[in-house]
Amino acid sequence: MPTLSTEEITHELNRIFAEEVEAALRYLHLASAVRGLDRLVVERVLKEGFANTIHHAGVIARKIRALGQVPRLQVNLSCPGEPLSAREALGTALTVEEAALEGYQELLSRVEGDVPLEEFIRSQIATESEHVAQLKELLTE
Amino acid sequence: MDTWKEFDQNVVSHSAAHHLMAVDDLIQRLGYARVSDVARGLSITRGSVSISLQPLKKAGLVVQDENRHLRLSERGQTLVDAIKAKRHLAQRLFAEVLGVDPEQAEIDACKMEHLVSKDTARRLSSFLGFLEANPSIGRKLLAAWREYDQNNEHDADSCPICKAERIADSITP
Repeated sequence: MPTLSTEEITHELNRIFAEEVEAALRYLHLASAVRGLDRLVVERVLKEGFANTIHHAGVIARKIRALGQVPRLQVNLSCPGEPLSAREALGTALTVEEAALEGYQELLSRVEGDVPLEEFIRSQIATESEHVAQLKELLTE
Repeated sequence: MDTWKEFDQNVVSHSAAHHLMAVDDLIQRLGYARVSDVARGLSITRGSVSISLQPLKKAGLVVQDENRHLRLSERGQTLVDAIKAKRHLAQRLFAEVLGVDPEQAEIDACKMEHLVSKDTARRLSSFLGFLEANPSIGRKLLAAWREYDQNNEHDADSCPICKAERIADSITP
């Protein structure tokens, strides 16, 4: 498989950077929007999600910088001002985490041959997979 | 009040219409559509696409298979075909009849494509069909209209509609 150029890798990492930042903003909103008896427990999970995704965004930004590039960010996010149940909030978080995981998996298939980058993407996949599993577990009755 | 009810009950929003059309375009071009392809096409994140697709899947307009490939259901395809047809009709009306700049005509048609009713679309199609089938009548009609308002500087004081309802003042801020 042809190796991606630095510009192509940077472009893909910028896309993932936007995914992580947007996910963090969604977590922030969800933590404030959740209502119900189990709100406090779910709010804690969502706030942890925010902290994790912002951390991931920082890791991606540092990776872009390590390539000698400057991270470029473009997000277009609108979250409705309606209360959510715990299940709805966690369901939304799961959707977003699964989308992020897919993004890393697709990028992995394109960087095969670039060992350091492969290793980096694999470690991100491992982390995201854990988040997805945790959310699925919470949503399983 | 009824108009607003109908507006709210419209099948899809502007954003949802574009998600559906993105899936359709990808399948026609590539034979498949993934969330990442839709995201790339709409210049938004995969997360946003996934969130936006949820109500569309729930409404039975989009289906995702075990390989996570997207496709339109029969209802979804019918809806997309109708939206595309309405966009085309509106774009032709604006550009070919009203003389709007083609780029602006495309933008304005895009804004209303998912809102126009079936009845209005049929009548519009009939009107455009009439103009095409009767080119000399169409030319005379448009020439007469352009003569009436040569520079698109609508004179509210001499316009019988605007005198009654001050429409021009409302349009121009």
